[in-house]
Amino acid sequence: MSISLSHLTKHYGKTNAVNDVSAEIGHGSLTAILGPSGSGKSTLLKLISGLERPDEGTVVIDGDDVTKVDPRHRDIGFCFQHYAPFRHMNVAKNVAFGLKVRRRPAKEIDARVDELLALVKLEGKAKSYPSQLSGGERQRMALARALAIEPRVLLLDEPFGALDAVVRAELRHWLKELHGQIHVTTVLVTHDQQEAMEVADQLIVMRSGRVVQSGNPLSLYESPATDFVHEFLGPSTMFQGQVTRPHDLELVSVYQGTVKGRITSIVSLGFEAQVTVELSDGTTTWVQLSRNEISTMGLRVALLVGVRRREDDV
Amino acid sequence: MPTATPLDTTSLKVHSSPAPSGWRRVASRLSLPLLMGGGGTLIVAYLSIIVILPIAAMVSHGFSISIGTKGAWFEFWRWHVAFGFRTFWDAVTAVGARNAILLSLWLSLAVATINAVMGVAIAWVLVRDRFFGRTFLDSVIDLPFALPTIVAGVVLLAIYGPDSPIHVDLFETWMGLMLALLFVTLPFSVRSVQPVLASLDLDSEAAARTLGAGTVRTFVSVVLPSLWPSVLAGFGLAFARAIGEFGSISLIAGGIPRTTTASYYIFNLTSGFLWTDAAAVSTALLVISLIVLVSANVFSRRFQRRLL
Repeated sequence: MSISLSHLTKHYGKTNAVNDVSAEIGHGSLTAILGPSGSGKSTLLKLISGLERPDEGTVVIDGDDVTKVDPRHRDIGFCFQHYAPFRHMNVAKNVAFGLKVRRRPAKEIDARVDELLALVKLEGKAKSYPSQLSGGERQRMALARALAIEPRVLLLDEPFGALDAVVRAELRHWLKELHGQIHVTTVLVTHDQQEAMEVADQLIVMRSGRVVQSGNPLSLYESPATDFVHEFLGPSTMFQGQVTRPHDLELVSVYQGTVKGRITSIVSLGFEAQVTVELSDGTTTWVQLSRNEISTMGLRVALLVGVRRREDDV
Repeated sequence: MPTATPLDTTSLKVHSSPAPSGWRRVASRLSLPLLMGGGGTLIVAYLSIIVILPIAAMVSHGFSISIGTKGAWFEFWRWHVAFGFRTFWDAVTAVGARNAILLSLWLSLAVATINAVMGVAIAWVLVRDRFFGRTFLDSVIDLPFALPTIVAGVVLLAIYGPDSPIHVDLFETWMGLMLALLFVTLPFSVRSVQPVLASLDLDSEAAARTLGAGTVRTFVSVVLPSLWPSVLAGFGLAFARAIGEFGSISLIAGGIPRTTTASYYIFNLTSGFLWTDAAAVSTALLVISLIVLVSANVFSRRFQRRLL
């Protein structure tokens, strides 16, 4: 089900949380709204869900204008950042809630709950209470609860924000897999560019309430529209007054480089290393090199080197 | 001891101190936390002086055989030691006592129930709604705490008494008693629910809404279950307060048998120097209050356990 947003605006007092945002979200896509905190990405998600009403603009889901429709009639699944479990209900009852509200027959509810718990890999936890689950399990329960009502659109607010790094990576991978299985149009909000690049097939980058750029992750990475997008989507550094990816630079002998410089530090991160260079023009840049390059070139701190762009070579 | 070989286990045995046995072990376990820590002693002493001893004395008095209380004026100083369940039973089942206890019981149950409902409603308004005068209303809730209860009686009589300016005369009626009790117990019901309501996760209500639940459904299935423990706690406190309340109802009750509550009945008994009977009825009230408070606590915890 496609979502089309046009000219959405939402103020809180005098601040413009969302300012004239228009975007198209394709049917069955997995879209990430990406931006730093305070960029209005969560508010945009709430506007799509109906939990917030826009001051101006429209939300169209699958051809229906739902701008004035209450969230309970929008057929959306919403996962909250802190999962918002019903603490007094066990996992099965949490998942069944939406179906019970819809007065489905008990047999159908039981079958559907079993199916969903299998889908989110919580089969053994049906009788557990949310307080007995780990963060990752709670997130999966919230996901099953949202999916139970067969929503037209699945909305996830910072879905992995409150998890530790290992569970985060695992769940990220799992969500991508799940999306491949059920193909429900999914929109997630995140401030983590790596997460967005890894999971999503569409990106909407926001800054101070506006959409800066949208498109597929690779095209945004390769041809960012602004310095902000460039810096936000992956590692970046300044070279000759331009924003550049540090792996697009290389170190050569003093006479071959475009600019001369002196190495001030080498930080090794396993296979890669970050080499910081103080340039003769007074600026500092850093270059991403492999461990091999460092050792074959015999790089060390205080060495004088030349810096140039890699494509200069070709 | 000979320690020729390093593996001489007998020598090891002798050197190790034996585990305390018998009463020593029991004593060390019991007395350590209470007596070693001066704080423990202080607490026990304090509770004894202000709660345990007076109540124990009252209970023992209620069960004593008292020859002295009827007649000679000096007799009620006598120390009653004999155990007499009969005395207690006769005092509690006298027609006046029974009616008074029953009246107190149903009034207190009704008042605690009504205020449990109204307490949630008022707490809701105070926590969730923003309106002019909210802070003022919030302070007004505590007024019954601050006011001497007899003043509450005077105030209620002024508006609902025989000279009522609005022509509602509740003097010497159970409705008058109920009004007074509702007034004095309201803070318990509101204040026990309010902080819990304020700390509730609004997201779970929003989640219920996105899942299709309406306002009523959301309140009943999502909000109320989280409030139960505090509602029950407030119910217990309000009940205990209502069943023992005297000041605010003493004026509006008027002193006729129809509106004589247990507390008023006890007051009447003490006026006639019937100390033993008074102690017996007091003990009955104490037991009823204790049962309600403890069961409210037990149920409250049962609900609470799942929420954590």
